[in-house]
Amino acid sequence: MSWILYQKELKSNYKILLLFLVVITMYSSIIIAMYDPDMNSSLEILAKSMPQIFAAFGMMNIATTLLDFITNYLYGFILIVFPFLLSVILCYRLIGKYVDHGSMAYLLATPLSRQQFMMTQLMVLLTALVIVVIYAFGFISIYAWLTVKEASIDMISFLSVNIGLLGIHCLLGSLCYLSCALFNEAKLSIGFGAGLGIVFILIQMLSDVSQQFEILNYLTPLTLFDPQSLSSGEYQAFVYVFILFVSALLLFGIGQFLFKKRDLPL
Amino acid sequence: MNIITIDHVTKDYGCQRGIFNMSFQIKQGETLGFLGPNGSGKTTTIRHLMGFMKPDSGVVQIHGLDCFQDAAQIQKMVGYLPGEMSFIDDMTGIDFIQLIAKLKGMQDLSYAYELMQFLELDAKAPIKRMSKGMKQKIGLVIAFMQNPPILILDEPTSGLDPLMQLKFVELMKQFKQQGKTILMSSHIFEEIENICDRVVIIKAGQIVAIEDMEKLKHNRYKHYEIQFSSLQEANLFMKKYPDARQNECYVSLMLQGHIDDFIKDLSHYKVNDLNIRSQSLEEIFLQYYGE
Repeated sequence: MSWILYQKELKSNYKILLLFLVVITMYSSIIIAMYDPDMNSSLEILAKSMPQIFAAFGMMNIATTLLDFITNYLYGFILIVFPFLLSVILCYRLIGKYVDHGSMAYLLATPLSRQQFMMTQLMVLLTALVIVVIYAFGFISIYAWLTVKEASIDMISFLSVNIGLLGIHCLLGSLCYLSCALFNEAKLSIGFGAGLGIVFILIQMLSDVSQQFEILNYLTPLTLFDPQSLSSGEYQAFVYVFILFVSALLLFGIGQFLFKKRDLPL
Repeated sequence: MNIITIDHVTKDYGCQRGIFNMSFQIKQGETLGFLGPNGSGKTTTIRHLMGFMKPDSGVVQIHGLDCFQDAAQIQKMVGYLPGEMSFIDDMTGIDFIQLIAKLKGMQDLSYAYELMQFLELDAKAPIKRMSKGMKQKIGLVIAFMQNPPILILDEPTSGLDPLMQLKFVELMKQFKQQGKTILMSSHIFEEIENICDRVVIIKAGQIVAIEDMEKLKHNRYKHYEIQFSSLQEANLFMKKYPDARQNECYVSLMLQGHIDDFIKDLSHYKVNDLNIRSQSLEEIFLQYYGE
């Protein structure tokens, strides 16, 4: 890993990261502001009137506590989609673009090895994802504490949910990383990773809508991130998160290995 | 001692594209020109030397190290100019030069600034706003700045104006004196004529000839077009040079060497105009390949 490149990439990409943090801030504060223990009953009526639509966006059970409310409305869809978009963009900017444009030739014409290059870019990606998850965790906790007087969040449970969130984003990120490591052209290096992620998200939406499609759950790794079970501390949910981290690690490793072996069009 | 070794290297892209069974060596302190038309495999060969590609078969080595396996180690000794100018667009020229210098582990940038001054490069602008020539100068500064013992330059003069090309030749002569080992590719013979000791000529991925520059220059034909003052003069001249072609007062012929005799002969006639043209690369190819 190269500190020089790491610093350069942080400098080139921090604005994009900030943009995503702003989006997360916006959505989180809106959702938390909507929390009202009394209003829950009216929301429940709304959810019962169109259960499919609520289910598609991961809002399956009507929340009773503040934590349920937050995991339901933020960790089911918004905090999956936006950080995933960030992964897609970052992987392209960190790897795909250098290969596609050919500027990689200059980087590799230094004592920087391919392995070091890929390791550095991985660290930048992970740094960004960790910042996003820590920020979401921190902002939501503090904002809820400041604005919602009637209820409080069980921090241990909420932390578990966020560790799970980091797990699923490591996995989605590793798919983008792998696809950028494998393909030369931007349309493939972005398309493969982003496409796979979008398909996974759509499958989950579909399978949540109706029992009939529940079998589809086995086709998407998003199933392995179950915020409700994590917050209630179910043992199995933690095993799933562990599987997420291990598979992400494996895919990162495969990406590096294949990148090291292959011909580059520079 | 051979610094660069390419031994029976084949990389087949299919459709007869790629390089086939290529072998040549470059000795310590030697300047080798790598000559071939566009798409003949020059860049592909250079990519192998830089470790961007692995050959299907054969050995590519620099200083006895495998170019693919030990690429990072080899890069410490090599200054490289890519054939395509693609930098990191959102940086300024100077930021990019500094980034690469840091990655190369350079502490002292004074030589880089010296080079920028010599090449009259103002690198403060964002790279995406730069002209082709300016980009090429940035590439040259990056290739030369750590003063490496080996230089690999892919079409180094492309985009440079004639004045800069002269400056480039001057730089190369300095490097030769310093004993650097240099490989430079080109599709223009004149470009490497004054710099290189030896030339490898390739076509369609295969080596057509490996020649000493002296010998090549010596064997090279020149085209002469002479306009005589009268038909009579032209006819007289034709008797001495029956191989020439005549069109009324105009006579054209090709000669290999013997320039002194020719000029002396010509002084006996009344000549209105004389045009001398060097053999083009295609014609050199024909000489080696076509016949």
